[in-house]
Amino acid sequence: MVNIAVLAKISLNLNLLKIESNGKINTAESPLAISEYDKNALEEALRIREKFGGKVICISVLTWGPVNKKLQDAERIMRETLALGVDEAHLVVDDYFDSCSPLETSLAIASVLRKLGNFDLYLCGESSMDVSSAQIPARIASILDIPFITYVAKIRIEENKIFFHRELPNGVQIIEAQPPLVVSVTGEINQPRLPTFKQILQSKNKPLIKYTLKDLQIETKAGKLNQWMEVRPVIRKNIIYEGSKLEEIAQDLINNLIQEGVLKI
Amino acid sequence: MTSNIIVFSEDSKIINDALHVAYSLSEKTGNLIALTNSDENAEEYFRNFDEVYVTKKDLMPDQWASLLRKVFLEKNANYVIAPHTVNNNDILSFLSAKEGMHMVSNALSFQEKGDYYVFSRQVIGGRGISYIEISKNEKIALTVPLKVYPKINLNKSPLVKEITEIPNSKINFAGFEERKRSGVNIENADIVIGVGRGFKNKEDLKLAQELADAINGVVGCSRPIAADYGWLPNDLWIGISSKIIKPKLYIAVGISGAPQHVSGIMDSKVIVAINKDKNASIFKYADYGVVADLYQFLPILTKKIKEMKK
Repeated sequence: MVNIAVLAKISLNLNLLKIESNGKINTAESPLAISEYDKNALEEALRIREKFGGKVICISVLTWGPVNKKLQDAERIMRETLALGVDEAHLVVDDYFDSCSPLETSLAIASVLRKLGNFDLYLCGESSMDVSSAQIPARIASILDIPFITYVAKIRIEENKIFFHRELPNGVQIIEAQPPLVVSVTGEINQPRLPTFKQILQSKNKPLIKYTLKDLQIETKAGKLNQWMEVRPVIRKNIIYEGSKLEEIAQDLINNLIQEGVLKI
Repeated sequence: MTSNIIVFSEDSKIINDALHVAYSLSEKTGNLIALTNSDENAEEYFRNFDEVYVTKKDLMPDQWASLLRKVFLEKNANYVIAPHTVNNNDILSFLSAKEGMHMVSNALSFQEKGDYYVFSRQVIGGRGISYIEISKNEKIALTVPLKVYPKINLNKSPLVKEITEIPNSKINFAGFEERKRSGVNIENADIVIGVGRGFKNKEDLKLAQELADAINGVVGCSRPIAADYGWLPNDLWIGISSKIIKPKLYIAVGISGAPQHVSGIMDSKVIVAINKDKNASIFKYADYGVVADLYQFLPILTKKIKEMKK
């Protein structure tokens, strides 16, 4: 039996960002989506459960508010995790966490985890697709006082040992460690599944438990940070060639690149 | 305010990449204290610091994290700064959680604004910048990108102390599989051809190499080609967690345009994308896009260029 808590981020949907005329990202009006690599963490948790049994829960903190505008979208995403096979979903929703930092997010996650008891593995994606700080795994490990292993592209369970293959820029580092552990996974670790229609229907009967700030124990001396996001202006020509006249397209492209001064023939 | 600033890196070769920011935040008066590993050239790297804590052993991240915390508390430091690597970012995150501190990962720039510092960093896969205001009175941790800030030389004569008491690690090293290196420096090339999952076999990459040879370019790749398939060495992998390139011409072939990859090419002067899926997000970042099967288009493009050279 392996009990697993998946820490999934409800990210901004990068394809549907609402951008103001001054370049600022209007997070309040931007739709949400589960963060890319957290899908891999979820998939890995489900695969481990299929082999060894146990429970898989999912925890998320809604860090993009306001709650009254985002709750429905956040609940939909948590229902998706239930449809995929998660046993219970736990969601922190409070305007206190709107645009918060990894400091507050990790305290909220840890506070929910303490209520739920101990797990063998705490799995999450290597970083979130919107903010990409990659602080949560080590922060959670630090608060829970357990080891962390990040950027894992393969988990190998052999008899009483678990091996983790870490994908680092210069090669693969192999770590052996005993649970409890916080593990972050890369996109290469697996191919996430899609839920069946039956699973989607069943997910409505599974528990989705919500928490607000007063349900949690969060103590921090650090002040909340003021932060905002702007889109970098992408000034590209966006000249798109389509059609079957590939010879002509190639010639035109070459001419343009020569004219731009980036290609010398 | 005179303060102690800890500059950390598990690898001393890159520790000075964090020096400029550390020196600026010290208001040029604070003590710069390094915690890092030793290396044959270490003496040279250490000349910018007032004090250096060093170990000759290879440590695991949790061992570094407890040493860092010890030095941080002993020195009553205000800031911890590290060059951004996977492990350094983890180690600083671990410390930040223990000490209840905010942390800014991969801070691209910073400026003073009254009683605050405003840090910037890339978000949404390099398409956006986040600005973070932090009071000068807060203790914080920062990682900063390599090779971004100016080099400085402070010529100090540091007190070097070797750490002898190393805490035990709770995880065990069980091996390392080194990646082959290409020896090609894609960061300095004027023309880079990026290959992605549109290529069906390793052998087919020769279509990209032939184009590269014809236009004096080099071949790089997206993450799956290096990390997943192992078709090319990791030092050719372009993206936010690997090589960030700024060539005059970048040609993305069979690359869909995942945020991780796009953030590694954003500063290219001209971007060309070749992809058979006209909805591929790479086209949004392209000056010139060709919606075509790379297996048909690349040979034609290479042939045309060769003909024009004659």
